[in-house]
Amino acid sequence: MATSKSDKNTNQWIGGALVFSGRPDPTWSVPDLVVSKLESYWAHLQPWVGSLPVTPGLGYRGSFLRDASGTEWHGYGGVLTLRTSKGIQSRQDPARQFEKLVLATAPAGLLPEEVKRASQGKK
Amino acid sequence: MALRITVDIFSGRPNPVIEVEGPEADEVLRRLKPGRKLSGREAAEPEPILGYRGLVIDQTGAASGGLPGHIRYLHGNLFGTRLSHRAEDERFEDFIAGSAGPLRRLSLGEGFPDLFGKEVDRSRKASAEHVEREHHRRRHHHCKCGPLFEPAWWNVPQRQPFNNCYNYATNYRTDTFAQPGLAAGSMYTALNCPSVGQAAVKDDLISTPKANNKCPKEGHLVALVIWPGVDFHWYRKDRNGLWSHKPGGTPVRNVDNSNHLIPDPRTANRGPYTNFCTFMVVMHGHIKIR
Repeated sequence: MATSKSDKNTNQWIGGALVFSGRPDPTWSVPDLVVSKLESYWAHLQPWVGSLPVTPGLGYRGSFLRDASGTEWHGYGGVLTLRTSKGIQSRQDPARQFEKLVLATAPAGLLPEEVKRASQGKK
Repeated sequence: MALRITVDIFSGRPNPVIEVEGPEADEVLRRLKPGRKLSGREAAEPEPILGYRGLVIDQTGAASGGLPGHIRYLHGNLFGTRLSHRAEDERFEDFIAGSAGPLRRLSLGEGFPDLFGKEVDRSRKASAEHVEREHHRRRHHHCKCGPLFEPAWWNVPQRQPFNNCYNYATNYRTDTFAQPGLAAGSMYTALNCPSVGQAAVKDDLISTPKANNKCPKEGHLVALVIWPGVDFHWYRKDRNGLWSHKPGGTPVRNVDNSNHLIPDPRTANRGPYTNFCTFMVVMHGHIKIR
């Protein structure tokens, strides 16, 4: 499933972390340059076969990158899932590079420590 | 003195009957000698169910052995007129079906004693599970005013992403990701128990720190927990006596972070929401949240 590179000229890409329960999850703008890099990275990933990793109910549940058209990547537990109007597909990202790169674009001080630890692979 | 033992097990076929007399009857009565009196739930006569329901023992002559003329034995318990006691032999069924037991004399086929033994074991397990379920049900007190656990109503695209733990716990859909105190113009100013708790009171939730997980007579119970300095989270006690919650925009669930049911949020695995603050009561129709 390809994504249209031209979209990013008209779309604002939003990154975020799925982490809160009461408060809205933290979100921020992701620069086009980073989005291009992430799209290229996605294009080289191998398909994921199997069930998706189970996220905990409370606490960090992964990072996401989305645009206004409904295209959204969600990365958690070494699996990256892309949802578009055309469907859903998942690919392997064992090093969680996509997930971490999205989190790395968050403004300083926005994310709680637990998310930073999770993005570094720590419990 | 003779005994007539009916194996109460079948539904369509006639139950098997064994006649014993002489020393064998004496042996049976010795094994059925009443011991301690049953009490509480165990003293209730077994219900008529499908499958093994016990052994019915009738004395065909004058009653003896300290037993009434007609008794029922099931899993070590004796029931009859003024009889509700533990038997001397708590595994009397094993004796009946044993290699020298009277059940072997029946012309029900070689396999019947083994079938009987398996059915007794199944019945014993089912009975123990029933007792455990009843115990669980009583311990968790069904809450007659609690909301129904109906995740399917919340977990749909038009509601799930726009309602959070506070919406779900208060059973109040706003589609605004409601924040404690916002509707009253007194939103929390810090992410700690006092600030979020007081903000919820401004929304007309009732602080009940001594609720101790007991259902209120009116309204329903909710619980506030805090991820110190980071976030708040709410649980609610449903009509079934168990707790459920909705972590942010994710689906409603009735399990904790260890995937266990939640009989008490104070002891649930709450991930980073380490501070249990308090129980509160939501009076239906009284609160206002936004």
